[in-house]
Amino acid sequence: MKQLRYDHVQETLYYEQLDNGLELYVLPKPGFSKTYATFTTHYGSIDNHFQIEGEEPVQVPDGIAHFLEHKMFEEPDGDVFEKFSAKGASANAFTSFDRTTYLFSATDHIEDNLTTLLNFVQHPYFTEASVDKEKGIIGQEINMYQDNPDWRLYYGLLDALFQKHPVRIDIAGTIESISRITPETLYKCHEAFYHPSNMMVFVVGGVDPQRISELVKANQDAKVYNRQGEIRRFYEQEPEPVTEQRKVTKLPVALPKCLIGFKEIDGTPPGAAALHKEAASRIMLDILFSPSSESYQSLYDEGLITDNFGLEYNLYRDIAYSAIGGDTKDPDLLVERLKSFIARYVEHGVSEEAFQRSKRKKIGGLLRMMNSPETIGNEYTKFKFRGMDWFELLPAYESLTLDDVNRRIREHFDMKRMSVSIVTSS
Amino acid sequence: MPTFSTAEWNGMRLHVLPTRQFKTFSIAMYIGIPLKEETVTRAALIPHVLRRGNERYPETKQFRERLDDLYGAGFGFDIVKRGNYQIIILRMDVVNDAFVSGESESLLDAALQFLSDTVTRPVLEQGAFRASYVTSEKETLRKRIEAIVNNKIQYAAERCIAEMCRDEPYRLLALGRVDDLEDIDPAGLYAVYEDMLQCASIDLYIVGDTTPEAVQALLDGKFGLSGRASAVPYVPVREERRNVEEREVVERMDVKQGKLNLGLRANVTYADDDYPAALIYNGILGGFPHSKLFIHVRERASLAYYASSRFDGHKGLLMIQTGIEIANKEKAESIIRKQLEDIRNGVVSDDELSKTKAMIINSLRENDDSAFDQIGYHFNSVLSGKERSKQELIEAIQATGLGSVVDIARNVELDTVYFLRDKGGAS
Repeated sequence: MKQLRYDHVQETLYYEQLDNGLELYVLPKPGFSKTYATFTTHYGSIDNHFQIEGEEPVQVPDGIAHFLEHKMFEEPDGDVFEKFSAKGASANAFTSFDRTTYLFSATDHIEDNLTTLLNFVQHPYFTEASVDKEKGIIGQEINMYQDNPDWRLYYGLLDALFQKHPVRIDIAGTIESISRITPETLYKCHEAFYHPSNMMVFVVGGVDPQRISELVKANQDAKVYNRQGEIRRFYEQEPEPVTEQRKVTKLPVALPKCLIGFKEIDGTPPGAAALHKEAASRIMLDILFSPSSESYQSLYDEGLITDNFGLEYNLYRDIAYSAIGGDTKDPDLLVERLKSFIARYVEHGVSEEAFQRSKRKKIGGLLRMMNSPETIGNEYTKFKFRGMDWFELLPAYESLTLDDVNRRIREHFDMKRMSVSIVTSS
Repeated sequence: MPTFSTAEWNGMRLHVLPTRQFKTFSIAMYIGIPLKEETVTRAALIPHVLRRGNERYPETKQFRERLDDLYGAGFGFDIVKRGNYQIIILRMDVVNDAFVSGESESLLDAALQFLSDTVTRPVLEQGAFRASYVTSEKETLRKRIEAIVNNKIQYAAERCIAEMCRDEPYRLLALGRVDDLEDIDPAGLYAVYEDMLQCASIDLYIVGDTTPEAVQALLDGKFGLSGRASAVPYVPVREERRNVEEREVVERMDVKQGKLNLGLRANVTYADDDYPAALIYNGILGGFPHSKLFIHVRERASLAYYASSRFDGHKGLLMIQTGIEIANKEKAESIIRKQLEDIRNGVVSDDELSKTKAMIINSLRENDDSAFDQIGYHFNSVLSGKERSKQELIEAIQATGLGSVVDIARNVELDTVYFLRDKGGAS
């Protein structure tokens, strides 16, 4: 295996690409009891319209990536959770916009558990009866989220920001859309997106990279995969204007909730440029709105925000967006205040002092995240599929300049690309 | 495997775990007082006020900038109830200096100084907490308590406990009661705090690449709590066995999904010898995806997305929760009752037993990979007075047979069935 050394964080990552295209990463963590392993396909809720080279384009029901994730756990000889439990492993899976991850963590029987993980994810098995049964379970999952105000607030924002791009679609779909899912459509999606060349394995913990590599190779060599042509994913071109500037959702809440967000129609090339943009954007939001910022403190003193006021930035390959907000007694007043802070920063920029402080904070934050095998595996994979190396984020923070951040502020905050999402009882 | 070394220091218990496993130093302070109606809200308010500033960094912005300057040191607090106690937990974590080039100050020293200042030198005005901080944090706490209803899963869980323990202090939220807030003034609150620093049980934990001796040297001149004679031990209170009469509570709200929660009394607590068997009982019932509740309520009957149980070992409560279609309440409840009945009758396969043991043992071993989880595990023994190392617990679990699990099951009593449902339909 190739070794990638990251001296600044004292970590060594082992990497290789197998003959069938699968990418394997191993990060040994001496002293750790647990091993955390993920098997991830570059396939998420946004991939509902696609074409395999040499085949016809396909449009599939919303929520199918998530449905498929649920159904993968069923095998002819029973439920996969049982197999993991028998070996003391805690297993799970999650679907996001652009990826589906299957995972386990365990302190023993690592090789058996890793074999189970590789095998069940690569073995689809769906029947009419089991697909129908799952519709009841996922229907309750959808209802659970419908009752969750934070979830409604967040997806309300995406719906308000994006007119066309599929991030506006609920990851789990709707009760109507999942009713159209059949074993055939599930097989079709599995065949397209679960080819090893579209997937990666990340193993982190007290493991020997050489042994892991041998195991994964032997496992993959025993399975037959034809070379797969390229997958074309159709995301409709997102126009500059937002869907609506203000979206209100009625739901019983103790205090109204309010999020503002800005979208970017992005064409940043993957690699260093994307990482630079990611780092600059995170520092930008941190300086403007973190708990140690001037705006946060004055909004808090006014009683306009609470402890759950937060911010995030998400950069995908073709779009990006920010989300800023939380509970508030007066959503419209909060929006006005946030806009006036933003206008001030767009005009005057941020100070060198605030910039240096935020940089230190972000570097320390990254180091703290590296204590957790789960965080390492998940962040590395997420960044990888978006064309970035997570371990290079720290040097990316270090190399930023004040000018970079001030330029980012002027680029990102365009009032024409802003929406507001509000959840309120009345 | 390194272990905590504990010493009595300056009227508190000091626990140090030297380890090179992490890139950080983790610090936690546990301040525990009896859970009581008269003090619950004031005690919950105190850490909110403390996190606004200390004498050295009196303005909140300065206070938070100082944390940022320490490479984004984490600082947070929790207020929890465990058994008959209300516990304030203050936590910090800061990167090990070795990972940041050109750092001249010791980050562990700086973090300890920060925590010490925050606890022992709060911002005072005329011998009381700064009034503006108290006023604004009262509002924050009020909003936090009121916001619990937003998360229906958590709301249903809290309501089920409150109904079940309506005659005990445990009915109280750890965050306290909204109605108490109005009468709190800065002087009275500070008096409660001074009293708390005198009488509370206090434990200070440090995990990282250091030694007990080095920590003691760093602590010199910090955490000056005058008048504390000794580290106050926690007094484990035996839960009296009560006459349980099953009760059903239905609450209506504007919701899509019904939340069915069952509260049971396990009649076992952490210090008991059959605690390992109770852990296994909970695991077989609803702790994992191979457990009876998950299999029967979710996988077989397709009634729910989540169906699980949780065992609170300090209070001896066993809580079951699931989210279902409102019309399916009777069906779900009868499936849940059947699972309780089955375990009582020993209808548990060898396979279920061995998987459950493997899963519990795995989660205990995984606990070693997080500094704060290790602290939490150690604190169980401080609170309960029962020394039981992880290794001992693992061995006890391995040695437990189905007979002991069935004994637990026969002592588990269903107390409260709580159902949160929509506003329409028949009652």
